[in-house]
Amino acid sequence: MAAGIEHAETKPLKGRIIDLIQEDVPDHLYSWPYTLGAIPLVLFGILLVTGILMTFYYIPYPDRAYESVREITYSIYLGWFIRGMHKLAVHLMILSLLFHITRVFITRAYKEGGEVKWLLGAGIFFTALAFGFTGYALVYDNISYWGMIVVTNMAGELPIIGKTLLLLLRGGEDVTEITLLRLYDLHTKLLPFLIITLLLSHILAVRFFGFAKLGTDLKSVPTQGMHKFFPEHAMEVGLISICLLIFIIDITMLFPPQLGSPANMQEVASNVSPPWYFSAVYKWITIAPRNAALFGVLFFSAIFFAYPYVDRFLTKRGANMQRINIAVGAAAVIVFVILTLWEIVL
Amino acid sequence: MGVIHDNTSRRKFLSNAFMTFGLSFGLGALFVRFGQFITPDRKEKMTAKVLIGNLAEIPENAATPLEISGNKILVVRSEDGFNAFSRRCTDLGCLVSWEPAKQQFICPCHQGVYDKNGKNIAGPPPRPLDRFEVVAKGENVYIRLKA
Ligand code: FES
Repeated sequence: MAAGIEHAETKPLKGRIIDLIQEDVPDHLYSWPYTLGAIPLVLFGILLVTGILMTFYYIPYPDRAYESVREITYSIYLGWFIRGMHKLAVHLMILSLLFHITRVFITRAYKEGGEVKWLLGAGIFFTALAFGFTGYALVYDNISYWGMIVVTNMAGELPIIGKTLLLLLRGGEDVTEITLLRLYDLHTKLLPFLIITLLLSHILAVRFFGFAKLGTDLKSVPTQGMHKFFPEHAMEVGLISICLLIFIIDITMLFPPQLGSPANMQEVASNVSPPWYFSAVYKWITIAPRNAALFGVLFFSAIFFAYPYVDRFLTKRGANMQRINIAVGAAAVIVFVILTLWEIVL
Repeated sequence: MGVIHDNTSRRKFLSNAFMTFGLSFGLGALFVRFGQFITPDRKEKMTAKVLIGNLAEIPENAATPLEISGNKILVVRSEDGFNAFSRRCTDLGCLVSWEPAKQQFICPCHQGVYDKNGKNIAGPPPRPLDRFEVVAKGENVYIRLKA
């Protein structure tokens, strides 16, 4: 510690910043599965910018919300483009988070100081899902309106905290204008604050605890050697960002965002369905007995959060976690894909 | 154990403990208040009798949708009299609709099915549809609401 302070004092600020940005990072970051953390970060940047732009036109009031989304989509200059980018970036962000999580899980990168990174990352993932739900509700077309009713009811079914959570989300027993305002506040104020805090902590934790050291059992990845964060790594991330941006712009132009029919409180949309990243859970609670299903989801989330500690516990008892993780990870991915396809295709 | 010489550190510990306790109590109380601020009151239930129409107006073997102070209701008139059901599905709160051909209530959200007496017969709904009491007085039909 003392040495560190001395060292810091003797070096001018400029030198220390140069040290920081030129820090060595391990060579395996050249391999694409290890760039999956940077991708959601870039997407988050896109979401932040397009989201802020849309708040200039969106009106969080039941009678006006749908109309304002309609204006954004069809009349305001380039509104469709902003909304389309926002919409696509959410899907890609959650997809890339899923990939990132799978990669970390299979390589067990949450070991040795990585526990903090994992916990913060899990927090980011759930916050991203909360973003997904609240944003979906804000559109206020018929599907999103009934989706909002079903999801808030689902929250209300949770054991113990359910009723309070329902009242907090809805701002009363029923879905009213207060509900929309609350979801809007969550989506544009509380959740951004939360996710930015978590993201910064996650990135700081990565810098502080270092990138995960890879075991030698993953042969395909170059594990020797180091390269500089700047310019090599920064260039790579820059390249990814540009590719992502081009991809998003292209897809948005090819498939401009659409809008369903307005929310109808008298008639349920015939195709009430959540966005794809909730489909698996939605299918699961439909096919399994309700309470068991909800407990299952809670249990799964708890295990997910605490997984590094589960790993440590089992490793101490001599389990081969490398194998177990590959099996568990593969099983989880397969179940997720099957449930999702079942919900979407059938 | 030689704690006699340890007084300064103990005093430090105690004062830290007091600080921590005081701060967390103070902030905790503040946040409880904030929490109460955003938690809405539960409304008290009160009952009211509402006139919904006149015997002749309500069609037979059909379901008439109504909305009275936020309660979405289906009034079903069959040979054995009037029934008023809440349209709110007992599963996750979607709206059921009346299927005249099958004489059933259908919920589109997770394919919940209720028979014409409101009993849940298929799908996830855990209990029958909520009912409202119907009172016929002379020519007039009333519904007793718990709103
Ligand atoms: S909400 Fe009616 S079946 Fe689920």
